[in-house]
Formats: sequence, C-alpha cells, structure tokens
Amino acid sequence: MNEELLPDQIADYLQQQTGHAVQVGPLKRFAVGFSWKTYLVPIAGGLPEADGATELILRLGPSDGLFAPYSAMPEFLSMRSLESSGIPVPKAYWASDDSETFGAPFLFSQKVNGAAVVPWVPVNTPPLDEAYRKSLGAEFIDALAALHAVDWSDRPISQMAQGINIQNAALTNVLYWEKQIERWAMRPYPAAQWAVRWLKDHCPIAPRVAIIHGDYRTGNFLEENGHITAILDWELVHLGDPHEDIGWVSMPMYMGGSPHFCRLTEPEWFYQRYSEKVGFEVSMASVKYYRAFSLLKLAATHMAAARCFEEGRFNDLRMPAMGSQIATCLRQLEKTIESPL
Amino acid sequence: MNNSFPRLIDGMCATLRTEVLSRLDDEFARGQVFGVINLLNTFKSRADWSTDFLSQQVSVQCHALEQVGSLIASVPHAPKVATLPTPQVISPSELLSLRDSANLEISKLLDWLVSVKESLPEETALAVESELRHAMRREIEIELKNSPRPLFAEMSSGQENPN
Repeated sequence: MNEELLPDQIADYLQQQTGHAVQVGPLKRFAVGFSWKTYLVPIAGGLPEADGATELILRLGPSDGLFAPYSAMPEFLSMRSLESSGIPVPKAYWASDDSETFGAPFLFSQKVNGAAVVPWVPVNTPPLDEAYRKSLGAEFIDALAALHAVDWSDRPISQMAQGINIQNAALTNVLYWEKQIERWAMRPYPAAQWAVRWLKDHCPIAPRVAIIHGDYRTGNFLEENGHITAILDWELVHLGDPHEDIGWVSMPMYMGGSPHFCRLTEPEWFYQRYSEKVGFEVSMASVKYYRAFSLLKLAATHMAAARCFEEGRFNDLRMPAMGSQIATCLRQLEKTIESPL
Repeated sequence: MNNSFPRLIDGMCATLRTEVLSRLDDEFARGQVFGVINLLNTFKSRADWSTDFLSQQVSVQCHALEQVGSLIASVPHAPKVATLPTPQVISPSELLSLRDSANLEISKLLDWLVSVKESLPEETALAVESELRHAMRREIEIELKNSPRPLFAEMSSGQENPN
C-alpha cells in the first residue's frame, strides 16, 4: 500500500462507484486506532451518492496490521444493520475485502463531527466536569442498551450468527481468544492458561444473543457538547452475551484513575440504568466473568501487538508500548477472578 | 559510553519533548514520538549496558592480566599482578530462556494438577496450586514494578495533555 498514490486511487474508485469524476483533496491520517488505518478524505464539491458529503472517512485494514488478515465486512454489516436504529452510528457507504483496489480491505463511511474522549489520562488529570460526565454517561449507557436490544435476526449482521446461542456464547468466545493467544504469544504465560481454564469452567448462560460492539469504551465514540455523535470502531463486532460489552466497559484501565466506568458512570448507575433500558437484570456474576474475559482478550491483543512488532510486520511504536501492558492485564485478571461478587 | 544509561535516556526523552514535539504538527507523527518516549522510559527502568558487551571487555582484561602475571612472575621486583576471576555472567538471552523454560514447566504442572486433583490429598493439591500461583503472581509483580506509566493518552492523541 503506497500512501502517496492513495488520493488518486480513491478518486478512481469513487468514480467507478458514482459514474462521475471525483476530486480528492490531501488525506489526513488520524492517530486514533491501533489496528486499522483511518483517513479523512476531502471531496471537492461534495458527493451526492454519499448524502452530499464533502468529507468521508476511509478505513484500511493493512495486511501487516495487528489482527490481519482483516475483513471490512463485520464493521460494514453492523453499521448497515444499525441504520435508522436510533443508535448513533456513521453511515457506511462502500466496503470490500478486495485488496486489489487499495492494497487492503477498506470501508468508506460518513464523517461525523465530534471529538473522542481519551480513556487514558496522565496522572493528576482533573475529573471530567460533572454535568458533562453525566450527560455523556447517560447517552453512553443508553446507546449500549439500545444496541443490545436490537432484533438482529432480519438484519445484515445475521450473516455472522454461525450457530451462536445463549448456551454457547461464552465458550465460543473463550475458545476463539484462546486460539488467538496460541497464535500470538511469544512465550508461555501460565497465568493466562490458568485464567482460560477458569473461564471455561464458569461459562454463564446469556440472557439473550445480542450485537456486541467488542470494544465499547471512551475513545471509540465521538462527542460534541456533551452528546454522543457517533459510535466508532466496529471491527470487533460479533454476536454474543450483552454482559460482554459491560465487562469491557468496566475494565480498570479505562477508568482513568476515577471511580467511574470509562471515566463516565458510577458502576451502580450504569447497572441500574442499563437494566431499565435493556429489559433484563444485569447479572453481577456475568459482569465479573466478562470482566475477566475482557482482561484476557486485552492481554491477547497486547501479545499480538508485541509479536507483530517483533516480527517486523510494522514499525508503529505504539505497538511495543501496548506489548508492555500484558503483565498489567494478567495481574488485573487474577484479581478479578479472585474478587467476591 | 561515559554517560550513565539512565541519564542518556532522560536526555533523549527531554530532547524529543522540547526540541522535536514542539516543532511537529502531524498528529500521527506526534503519537509515534510519544511511543518512542514510552519505550525509552521502559528501557530506563529495565535495561542497562549490555552484560555481553561488558563481560567481553572484562574477560579480555582478565586474560591479559593473567598472562602478564605469568610472564613477569619470575622478574625481580616486578609488581604483583592482581588476578581477577573471569566473569561467569549469564547473558540476558540465557536468563530469558530460563524464565520461559520455568513458565513452561509451571504450565505443565498446572495441567497435571487438574488431571490428578481428585486423586491427590487435598492439602497437597492446595499447596501445589498455591506455590505455582505464587510464582506466577510474583513474576508479574516484578515486571510491573519495573514498568513505567504508559503514555497511551499521548500516543493516541498526539497531545501532551489530552482532554
């Protein structure tokens, strides 16, 4: 993939899709995201086929990326499935897993205004303004509950069902991530092995099979004036137990030194409001289980980052920094498993 | 090198922050610089000059002193040459290999314990599990004690003080 050629390649592709010439301006690459490459694509005069947009977002899943080989389809199918659902999701326009066009699977989507709230903050960072935190926190909870309430059975994402049900959702996930650890770990991690066994022995039954974002947290949505404008980064989307996203939200590394999930919501408020909106009672045993699972998944992601860098697949210096966090995840994982409900 | 390893790291980090970041506008490039600073801080707490490199130097010196000592042993009024022990340093790669072998052994014992837990006396099973988990926990704690605070906020935003 040659970034210098990308603007011309984009113009050619959009011309093929729309049937008319498209003039593409200089691209801007965002620092956000540790996996897919994200670019802002200026379109001179706007694009009628993309609701008149003068800017598009292009995401590329490079062959040397963290979890390559990538598919744009989960993200595309989920965004298409959530159109008109009331959940703030950018509109997806075009996507393909064909690497001929840009050298990597890709997705074009709507550019939504807003800024990301960073989950990681320097020590001694003051807490978020209280009114702002509560406004954003309420929408953060509501959007997740709305996502988990979507009847996906007749939507495009149903293509990803693959036999999942309330009984096997947890084990399916654990087996998948156990394989990822086998694939990526560069050395034995008995602490991870011990945790995998605990997870296999304590699989909960899901209250329902829902669309799981897979990386729902601050940093993966945009906000403007205390309101969520778009939920982003759907690359880990799948179907599963809704508690999985809650477990991810509740990880200590996203609390930024505050007592709040993702720096936004008191845990009790989260559970209460979410339960009211989603239509089932949150199971604390399942939250504990999926928090432990999430820590294992995060450790696996860090193992992948370390290996990809070690093998020279890329030189993104954020990756070895991620790799240095495996121990943090494994320590929290053990503490979570040992903690009372 | 005549400067200490930690001081060099501090100097590199300070230069990157004050001389490079202040002149760099691209968000992604700034994130990468913070990635470099993050790694340098890790090196500061975990690394030092290569023991392989130093032990090679010291070995050469020891060998020379030993040889000279032999050569001048019978020379009248010759100074007595100190004989230093040839260093028996375990290299970092050997230590890493030992650590991984130990972890592999712990993994095998965990598997074995699950397979025989029912037939083992409860006290023995608990004691074995406790020992293994203590070793796993201490390995992680020692690693964490030698890890600087990660600069994820800065790396993902390109800003010194995000939010």
